[in-house]
Order: sequence, then C-alpha cells, then structure tokens
Amino acid sequence: MKQWLYSSLWFVALFVTLPAMSQLWIAPTAMKKLANGLTVVVSEDHSAPTFGIAVSYGIGFRLEPEGRTGFAHLFEHMMFEGTPNAPKGILDRVIEGGGGTNNGDTRYDFTEYIETAPISALDPVLWLEADRMKTLDFSAKNLENQRSVVEEEVRLNVMNQPYGLFYAIDLPGKAYDTYPNAHNFYGDFKDLDAAKIADVEKFYDQYYAPNNAVLAVVGDVHPDEVFAKVQEYFGAIPSRLTPPLPGLEEPPQQAERRATEKDKLAKVPALAIGYRMPPRRSLDALVGAVTGELLHNGQASRLYQVLVKDKQVALSVDGGVNWPLGASFEYNGPTLMTSFVVYPSNITESQVLAAYDITIKDLEHKGPSRQDLDRVVSKMRSDWYGHLESPIDRASALSHAVLFDGSFERVYHIPDDLAKVTSAQVRAFAAKYLVRTNRTIIVREPAPPDQAATKPGEEP
Amino acid sequence: MKTPELFGVAILFVSFALAKEKAPLPKDLPAYGPEKPSQAPAVKATKLENGLTVWLISEPGFPKVSFAVAARGGMAADPADRPGISELLSKALDQGTKSRTAKQIAEEIQAAGGDIDIQAGKDAIVVSTSFLSSQTDGALTVLADVLENASFPDNEVALAKRNLADSLRQREAEPSFLAARAMARVLFGDNPYHVTAPTQESVEAATSTDLRRIYGQRFRPDQALLVVVGDFENDKMTDLLNAKFAAWKAPAEAPVVVQARFSNTLKPVVSLVPRPNSVQTTLWFGTLGPLRSDPDYEAADVANAIYGGTFSSRLVSNIREDKGYTYAAFGLVHTYRAAGVLITRADVRNEVTPASVNEMTYELNRLATTSPTEEELATARRYLVGIEAIQLQSRASVAGELANLWVLDLPPEEIGAYGQRVARITAAQVDTAARKYFPASRARIVVVGEEKIVRDAFELYGLPVETLH
Repeated sequence: MKQWLYSSLWFVALFVTLPAMSQLWIAPTAMKKLANGLTVVVSEDHSAPTFGIAVSYGIGFRLEPEGRTGFAHLFEHMMFEGTPNAPKGILDRVIEGGGGTNNGDTRYDFTEYIETAPISALDPVLWLEADRMKTLDFSAKNLENQRSVVEEEVRLNVMNQPYGLFYAIDLPGKAYDTYPNAHNFYGDFKDLDAAKIADVEKFYDQYYAPNNAVLAVVGDVHPDEVFAKVQEYFGAIPSRLTPPLPGLEEPPQQAERRATEKDKLAKVPALAIGYRMPPRRSLDALVGAVTGELLHNGQASRLYQVLVKDKQVALSVDGGVNWPLGASFEYNGPTLMTSFVVYPSNITESQVLAAYDITIKDLEHKGPSRQDLDRVVSKMRSDWYGHLESPIDRASALSHAVLFDGSFERVYHIPDDLAKVTSAQVRAFAAKYLVRTNRTIIVREPAPPDQAATKPGEEP
Repeated sequence: MKTPELFGVAILFVSFALAKEKAPLPKDLPAYGPEKPSQAPAVKATKLENGLTVWLISEPGFPKVSFAVAARGGMAADPADRPGISELLSKALDQGTKSRTAKQIAEEIQAAGGDIDIQAGKDAIVVSTSFLSSQTDGALTVLADVLENASFPDNEVALAKRNLADSLRQREAEPSFLAARAMARVLFGDNPYHVTAPTQESVEAATSTDLRRIYGQRFRPDQALLVVVGDFENDKMTDLLNAKFAAWKAPAEAPVVVQARFSNTLKPVVSLVPRPNSVQTTLWFGTLGPLRSDPDYEAADVANAIYGGTFSSRLVSNIREDKGYTYAAFGLVHTYRAAGVLITRADVRNEVTPASVNEMTYELNRLATTSPTEEELATARRYLVGIEAIQLQSRASVAGELANLWVLDLPPEEIGAYGQRVARITAAQVDTAARKYFPASRARIVVVGEEKIVRDAFELYGLPVETLH
C-alpha cells in the first residue's frame, strides 16, 4: 500500500540532528498476507508466557449507514453473540477459562477485537476469531438483547454523566458538515431501535471479510508458527468484495462555530474547543501531533501552566489530536485537535477563552524552544512505548498501522519522526491551523436548579 | 465497546453464560495447549543506608522504568478534623520543593518521559511514574527531591485548595463517586476507614502548615517502600538510589499507624443518595470480606469470579446477556490493610430497578446456597491465575502491585504465590466462603438515583430506605 507521501521531502527539507535523548526501540516483527487477503502481523516477545491478539476490521463509525447511527458499535456487540458453531456464551467461556480476557472497540476508522491470555490458549482463541470471521448467529433475540445493553451503555457513559462526552460527540457534530464525520457515533436511540437483523447481515457481509481485516499476534510465539496456525484456521475463509471507501473530505470551514448547551447533571461549567486537523498522511499532521502535546500533555503543558496555574481560570485541561478516541496518529479521516476545559463557576467563558487565545498566540509568535520540543517529544516517546509494552496493546497498534498503511514500520519509527519537528514548523502550524476560522467551541453550562426539576407527570 | 473501559481505565473483567446447562464446546475447537507457568519476577529486596526498603526487579531490554514509592498513612490516618486531607496533600506534594518550582518539577519529569502520579488511598499515599530508562538519572533526581524536600508553598496550596473544592463539586455529580462515598459510610461507620474523599469543610480549613506537618510525619524512609521495575542492573540501581535518597532521614518521633479491625454487624438497610435527573439507578451491594492475609481470601476471590467477577459469570450472564438490564454489572473483592470489602454494582435503567434488585439478590443467594459446577470452578481458577500472569506484562502494574502488597504487610513473593493458592481452591472451600460472605441478607445496599423510583422499588421488598447525602 501507500508509503508516507512526505517521506522523501522530509529528509531533504527538515532533517536535523536527533537529540541525545533519542532511544529508538524496535521489537522484532514480521508480516504476511494470506491468499484470501487477511494480513497477519507477528511480534515475538518471550518476556512472559502470554500473548495478545487484535483483529482489526476496516470499518468504523464513519461508514455506518445514514439512519443507523451507532450501528458499527451495536454490530461490534453482535460479534460476541455467538455463531452457528460456537453459540452465545462459548467465546467468553473459552477465553476466560483459558485465563484470558477479551474486549472490542469501535472507533471512527476501525473496529477491533482484542484478547490476551496465557499462551496455552492461543489455538482456541485463533479458532474463535476465525469462527466469527466465517459467519455469525444472526439472531433477532440476541440483537434485541444487545440493543438493550448498548442503550444502557449510552445511558451510563452519556446520559447519566455530567458533560455526557459532549467534547467527543457534540463537538465533531458541530465542527463537521457531512454525515460520516458529524453524526453521533454512539447512536440516537431511534436509530438503534430501528436496527434490524437484515442490517446486521448486510454489514457483516460488506465489511467483515478477511481482506478487510488485519490480525496481529504479540507475545511468546514464533512468527512461522503463528503464520501456519492462521493459515490453518483462517485460510479457507473466502475473500469478498468490500464497498469502496467513500470520500470523507469536508467542505472547508469558513468561520468560527459556537454553541451553548445546558447540562442537568454537571455542577461546574466546561467548554470544548476543536480545530480541524490536516490529513494524517501529511507533514503538518506530525507537527500537529507535537503541537497538541505541547499544549495538553500533563502539568508541564502550556495550557495547564497558563489556564490552571498562571491565570487560574480553569480546574483542568485535557486534550490533543484525535483525543479522546485514540493516539494522535491512529485515525484515517478528518479529525480534530480537541481541548476540554473545566472551569470554576465564578469564571466566565470569555475569561477562559481569552487565556486560551493568549496561549495559542504565544506559541505562534515565539514558538517552542529546542528544550521545550525535546521535553515533549521525550514524553511522547515514553507514552508511545508504554502503549507498545503489553502484548494486547502492541497487537492493537500494529493492526491499526497495517490497516491504514499496509505496513507496520511506522509504529516503531514514530518517536524518531516526532523528534525532527522544529520550532518554526510549530509556529507555522499554529498560524495556519490554530485560527478562529478553523475552530468550533461548545460551552456546557450547568442548568439552573429550576430547569433541572422535572415537572410531575412529565418525562425527564 | 463491549465492556466498560471507555476512556483510560481498563477494567479487567469481561463476560457471560447460561449457568445451568451450558452448551457443549464446538467439536472442532482446539483444546488448550500445555500449561506454561509464568515465572514470578525476581525481586531483589534491600534496605538503603537510611533504612528505606527497596524492591527491585531488573528487566533489561524494553527501554522504560516504572517507579513507585508508598508512604504509610493515608486517608484513614488523617486527623479527625481534617478528613481526606491526604488527597489535598497528594495534589500539593509535587508543587514545589526547597529548590524547585512546581513548573520545574513538571518539566523535569516530562523531559524524562514521565508524569508524577500521586494517589491517596486509605492506608498510604503512593507516588508513581514511568520514564525512559535513558533518563533514569534525571527522573530519580526530581523524584527524590519531591519525596524528601516538598515545601508546600502557600500560593500553591491555596490554588490546590480552590481547585480541589471545585473538583469535589464536579465529582459529586458522578453517580459512582456518590455510591462509593455512601458505601464506605455504611460499611465503616464512624471509623476513619469511611473517608473516601475530603469534605468542603476539611479542604477549606486545611493550611500549608497542616500539610507540612503531615508530610513530615508520613514521608520518612523508615515508613516507606521504594519499588523500581524495568531496564537497569540491580547493583547500579542500588548505588544510584543510595546516592539520590541518601539525604532522606527519618524524624525522631514515632510514626502514626492505624490498626483497625471491623466486625460485620450490619443491618439490612437501603441507603439512598438522591440524584435528580438520573436516567439510571446505580445499585451497589456491599459487605465486609476477608483480609488479603486471611485463609479464605482466595476462596472468596474464586467465589466472586463465579458470581460476578468475569464476563462469563452468573450475574453478567443473567442481568446483561439474558435480560439486557445493564451494560456494566460486576462483583469485586478489594482489600485494605485493616478491612476487606466485597462490592457488587450495576447501573440499570430506571424502569428495571426493582427487577434488577431481585436478580442481584437471587444471584448472591444462589452462590451462597448452591455449589458451583466443575466448569465454573475450573474457569474461575484459571481466569484468576491467568490474570495474574497478564498483569506481569506491564512494569507499571507490577510496581503498583508490589507497592500494594507492602502496604498490606505482605512480602513480594505474594506475586506468584497467590496464583498457586488459587489453583488449589476446592469446591468445598468456595462453598464455605460463599456462605460466609455472599448471602444477600449480609449486604448493605447503596442506591444512587431518582428518589421516587428507588423508594418505590424497595417498598416492594419491605426494606427500609434511609436517605444519605
């Protein structure tokens, strides 16, 4: 597949000496593609007699059909509801009985199924993943059950929580204009309620093909042994045509966008700011990742130092590129640099924004020092290696990289690429992207007590 | 996402089953391979010249180091008129030393690839971080300074107080915070163990003088453990620690130690925390359980795995996978130094509140009154042993677990020994533990939600409901 578009430009225009703190770490990793199109990645790690596995499919929130918001995630739940060969319950019994755990994650550009267990469970786990790549138990009863479970998940994480993930759901909804990027990925209940078993069958047929998947295994294994096992369990699954990827580009943003929401559960106000980011396969995106961390990573970050410490207009600041749904590199379509700021009740939204804008302008005018850059890149290296430490996490990261780019090398080279970002690039990035016409702001205000009360006989 | 771990916190449980007659395994499903037991990490335990206990695990290769210091005395040791001040101390501890500002501390640890995380528990305050092994010297320099020379500057303490007061207001909007606070109150009564967070009053009253005094009492090498796990050689690390921590000396006064033991004399009362506009009811059943050092701890852990600690457990199979009442239901066993607790929790939509109480009660009593099947027992044992092996994959989780063991007065060899004991647990031991700890009549119930919905639900069961804010 594609190499990085900027890679040749990069070294000519931007090469600088790597700082002394550079400490590249590369785990032995091998890759192979089966005849049916399933790509297999293996990284050996004999430090513990365990393994992690990730099967990532090239389907996420963006591609779920209109009128079926939340369907990619509802579908993910159906992948745990059994097959004709292994009815509901078998998968969890076998994995947990093997000493392991499993889970699934749906994101904008992938859906992954992940397990980790002692190595003695490798064969049954591979068999179970192959089994659900062949077909599912398309059961209306199980769909009804998981529809309820997913609606409880939405109540738990959105409707019954202060702030209700508005910075992750409402912000892209306001910042983008097209359905794939703007819709509510957790799902409107009317859409979840409308999902039929025919939708499940169609979605599975379209997207859950071996040629639309990457399987990564990390741990106490040898690549040839894993390749042979995967051939045995997955080799006979036929490849299928998958729909072409639709255009995901957004019409350009012309002006700052703002909205205010009332929150019946929050007791302290918050706001979220989202800037549209450049395409992932661009030099600007790499600079954006560093800029995002300069602004947001920990107590040393600029926004924390200005908003929480110096001006004292905020209680907390979180954020970054692609936050909170993944690392700054793990997306494959439009994404935002998001800032989520919780602030005291006696501070106004304009006080917060004034301090915020000063921080951005300062970065644009003065830029980070070499020391600032080295520090944040060192932290990003450490964070990223931390993300590659456990087999299940490394398998997940490898599977996403291969799904997006057809190669895994970048997983190990990202920290060194980040180390090449210069202060001038950060300044240029801030001047180009961190501007008002490129941003969306949502303010979330606690609803006053009289609005919070439900009138008798009225649904909340 | 299939199970809750949405942003950040990974909850290591997953889920489901038809407990009575489970479907046979598929004919062509491969059997588990031969067991390959995990090697317990080789812990080198030493004492530095100043008396600081040090546990080291050398794991060269992967270029990171995880670090933790546990200092005895946490929220259970806070002065009665300053409940929860440990949390304020944890916020202010890294906000200045005799020679470094808060910003310098944050920048130096970031340059090493770390963040300083400080958690105030009931029994200890734990300071931890992970950094790049190439930056070990820089990281240890700033960590040692924070641990030995924290100065609690007045302006930083004032800011930490204001922000903690507002963050408490913010957390009071979250159902799980309210439930945890209420459950600790009903389980521990007036004992200091009931404190889960500071109060607005204690934050308001706290001064930097208080913090300096408590810090002086608790952060002392004879009452602390230092754990380092990762990419280093033991001898070199010991020399480095001796150099960095040499100046840290214990004061003459005796340390403050809390020793409490609780008996279970609880009445079945439902404690309601009203939360207007809730669209779910947060249901917690809680009871006192074994200490980590008690002989039936592992049996209780296995019983809990069968009951609600895994995705294939009875509770999850019932109220999630069969009935669809909840996304997140689980049971957990947790131990402090002087108490153990068993907690079951589920967040259910308002309409199914009464039915969920029925099913949770049923599953608790079923565990207490019937033996598990052989498969349930085997699955639970293998699951708990496997999870221990999986947790050894992460240096930070090993460091955290070692700190936890030390706080509980247990040796580092507990990692590994726990799994060996779990593997030998019998059905009879599970039955005994289940009968002792799991009957629903033994549990205190805490409920956060819409008042009318909760009151109507428990009226059905004839259980008195008290309001607890």
